[in-house]
Amino acid sequence: MLLIFAAAWIGLTLAEKRAERNGISKENINNIIFNGLITFVIGGRISFILQNIPAFIKNPFGVVSINPDMFDPLGAVTAAIIVVLVYGQRRRLLFWYTLDALTPFFAILTIGIGLSHLAAGTAFGKETKLVWGINLWNATRHPTQIYETLASFLTFGLLWFKRHDTRSGILFLTFAALTAGSQLFIQAFRGDNTLILNGLRQEQVIAFAALAFIFILFEYRLKEKP
Amino acid sequence: MYRNQRVILYILILISGASWIALSAEKTGSAPSRDIPAPQASFAAPDFTLKTPTGETYTLSELRGQAVLVNLWATWCPPCRAEMPTLEKMYEEYKDQGFVLLAVNMTYQDDPFAVVPFTQEYSLTFPILLEETGDVAAAYQLRSLPSSFFIDRDGIINEVVIGGPMSEALLRTRIEEILK
Repeated sequence: MLLIFAAAWIGLTLAEKRAERNGISKENINNIIFNGLITFVIGGRISFILQNIPAFIKNPFGVVSINPDMFDPLGAVTAAIIVVLVYGQRRRLLFWYTLDALTPFFAILTIGIGLSHLAAGTAFGKETKLVWGINLWNATRHPTQIYETLASFLTFGLLWFKRHDTRSGILFLTFAALTAGSQLFIQAFRGDNTLILNGLRQEQVIAFAALAFIFILFEYRLKEKP
Repeated sequence: MYRNQRVILYILILISGASWIALSAEKTGSAPSRDIPAPQASFAAPDFTLKTPTGETYTLSELRGQAVLVNLWATWCPPCRAEMPTLEKMYEEYKDQGFVLLAVNMTYQDDPFAVVPFTQEYSLTFPILLEETGDVAAAYQLRSLPSSFFIDRDGIINEVVIGGPMSEALLRTRIEEILK
């Protein structure tokens, strides 16, 4: 968790530096990220409560318990996206320019998530005999946490040194395509996937669908005159 | 790059991606981590055999078919003490549905003579097991007290909660999950 917060802080600093280039003020970037993070935390708890109402009816004080385990990540992300969209609309921020301004934040956050997986031993790999395998959970495994961290570093590097495209949304879509592509590749080495349809990895199928959708969005954004 | 070239590139990337998904599919059709014992969600719970202060023996693997909560604790640990009344309440409420609570006291780093008075003070009715060697703590890679492992009826760890005290609502949601 500390690594993710550290990454969010570094990401925010970099996003602020790049914000002006995308026509977004530092103040707006700060507010978007702050509102998003606060809603992420509160939304995750509320979503967990809504999914387990009978447990909280019997123990209403559990709602304000400090247990971090009472958290639904999907609900948290959904709530944060809704609040950020509402904030953006009320402040009349341009959607694609804002996403471009936030891209350094997202890129650093993915590095932080990879490092936090490494620290906690989660998102672990399947067993391997390769020499770079790491000993984790009583087996020698693919260091998938290192793979994902390296892929995130590479993505960040490519974006940071990428020539500035005047068409809005291209920077964010490049980040999204690289992240979906690397996940599609790396998930094959994970040892904790959800399997569907005779052994297909659900996470790879989601990454594939995301990639196809991103390509469609690329064409839509590239129609804009530079 | 022209639009036609880009579309060809997209199609090539998507074909490669689809091929990679098919090539890397799990042939066994089950999650690969379930056979290996490790103290992590989706792994088999490491087995152990321990005795209660009265000499009764409990073996985790013999409880297969029941939902088990393994709670690692010590008498000197304030959050462990704080969550004991809630654990007792949950045990009383769910034991008839096939819920077993094994409270493993870290006796090797605790005062062995404090355990029985502690259970009497809190009127605990679930099994208290004595961990005198440190082997179970090592198998469960104990990092912090209390640590709780929610194990489903197949002996697979469903959830790990490090630290405490756990709230009643959290316990309820996790117990109902492993009872399914």
